[in-house]
Formats: sequence, structure tokens, C-alpha cells
Amino acid sequence: MNRIARLTLFAVSMLVLTAATIVVATHMPTFGSHPLPYGDAVNSLVPPARHISNMVSAVNFDVRGLDTLGEEFMLVCAVTGTVVLLRGTRGEQLTSRPAGMHGRLNAPRSDAQVLTGRLLGPLILLFGLYVVVHATVTPGGGFQGGVIIGSGLLLLYLCEEYRTWRWFMRSRWLNACEGGGALVFVLAGLAPMCQGAHFLQNVMPLGEFRDLLSGGLMQIVNAGVACAVLGGFALVFLEFLEETREPRDEA
Amino acid sequence: MTILLALLLLLTAAAGAGIVLSRDPRRQILAIAGNGLALTLLFSALQAPDVAFSELAVGTAALPLLFLVALVSVRTDRKSDL
Repeated sequence: MNRIARLTLFAVSMLVLTAATIVVATHMPTFGSHPLPYGDAVNSLVPPARHISNMVSAVNFDVRGLDTLGEEFMLVCAVTGTVVLLRGTRGEQLTSRPAGMHGRLNAPRSDAQVLTGRLLGPLILLFGLYVVVHATVTPGGGFQGGVIIGSGLLLLYLCEEYRTWRWFMRSRWLNACEGGGALVFVLAGLAPMCQGAHFLQNVMPLGEFRDLLSGGLMQIVNAGVACAVLGGFALVFLEFLEETREPRDEA
Repeated sequence: MTILLALLLLLTAAAGAGIVLSRDPRRQILAIAGNGLALTLLFSALQAPDVAFSELAVGTAALPLLFLVALVSVRTDRKSDL
């Protein structure tokens, strides 16, 4: 394609796209306006039907629970792929012993760093747990709580030496956490079918409105999601940070 | 739209421009973390705490760390080649 033809194509497509953009931009609802039929429907239908007050959790774990199951497995696949790729060059055995990178010291942590981390770390882990268990009551849920706990584990890496951190980040536990969480989600979907209900149908007692244990089946799904997300993020952190090390005998 | 929202939208745009305009990869990673923080503030102001939680943990902690580690690995590989 020569220069003139390309410029003509560019001009024509720009003309069409600009006109289309202007039409769309002028017909958009104004910022903060409220023609939100789905949101209103969820807000009015879900609290009496499911006895819970966090609509985001209701949508994620119940109204479109099947979508979340798909997303869950996308996460598990992504984490598994990353881990397999990173362990491929290193081997699974090597991850069981922490090592140093040639020419790079295990940097000692300053006292202030250790103190801050040890004070804040457990609080962040506790907050993550709080967000997980209050999924049906207040904002947050399995995913949010899981990533908060994952970040808390990173903070522990920043305040502890790599070896110490490596000592309590057990690969097998994290594997079990990740796969087990996804399994719990699938079982929570299949269990109602044993009773003759539909996949992921909320057959459990719903509990009281704004109670910690409200929402029925959502509690189990939420716990599964939390486990899978926490395990997945921790595994990825672990494998990536292991990538900055090398086994002694090879270095 | 309140002044707070307008300011936060501007802050987010500025933080996004900061990522594009910083050329050094290390600074770029920190700029990504900054952008994540700006987005977190914006989501909180728009009353979307669920998204704000996720953005805070993923955008300002997890993602920059993974990029940093990738950068470290690339750098060390280059040194060993020389």
C-alpha cells in the first residue's frame, strides 16, 4: 500500500471514528446520573431474598455465582501456569530450601523495619481475616480479604529475613490452600444438586439479616474464594521472590 | 460532581501520565504504585469500597512487586552475560 492510499485510509477512518466518538460522548448519561435498573433490582430484591447486606458479595457469590466460578478457575490456571513456568527452570525440589543469590547478600533488616513490620503485619493479616468473614455484612469479601492477607505476607517478607519468611511460607500448604479453595467452590456448587436443586442454588439456611453467618451457601463459596485467592497470591509472591535467589551449589 | 471528585480524577490522570512519561523502568514501577493509590482514593470517593480494597492490594502492592522482581531477574541475567 503506498503513502497516499495509507493517508486516505487514515483520514477516512479518523473521520468515521471521530464522528462516532462525538455521537457516543454526547449521548452518554451524565456523571452520577441514576438509570441503573440492575443495581436497583439487586438492591431491592436481594436483602429479603438472601438476608445479606453486601450486594457486591450477593452478586458475585449468588446472583452470578457461575461467572465467579469461571473467574476462580482463570485465577487458578494463571497461578498454576506461572508456578509451572518458574519452577520449570528451577525444579520443585529447590524451592524447599532457601538460598542466596551469588554476589547478593541477604540484606539485614534494620530494627525500625523489623519493629514496624512485626507490629503492622499481624494487624494486616487480622484485618484481612476480618474482611473475609464479614463478606456478607460489610464491603469486602473473599477476594479482597485474600489479597489483603497476601499483601500482609509481603510485609512480613520486608521485615523478616528471607530465610525466616521462606521458613513459614510452606509451598505445600499454599498449594493445598489454592487448589482446595477452588475445590470447595465446585463442591458448594455440586452439593445442592444432590438434594435435587440446581447448581449453586442457595439451599442452606439463610440466617438473620446483617448477621455474621447470613447468606447460606455464600459463606462456603466465600471461604473457598478466600482460600484460593490467598494461596494463589502467596504462591506467586513466593515463586517470584525465589526467582531472585539461586541455590548455593549452582552459584 | 464535587470538587473532591474532580481533583481525584485530575490526580489519576496526572498519575497515569506520570507512568507514561517516566522512562526509567524502576521509576515507572513506582509510578504504577502511585497510580494505584490515586485510583484507590478515587474508588473510595465514588463509594466503591470493594473495588478500592482490591485496587489497593493488587495495584499498589502485588503488581509493583512482581514487576520489580522481573526487573531484578532481567538485570542479573544481563550482568552474567558480560
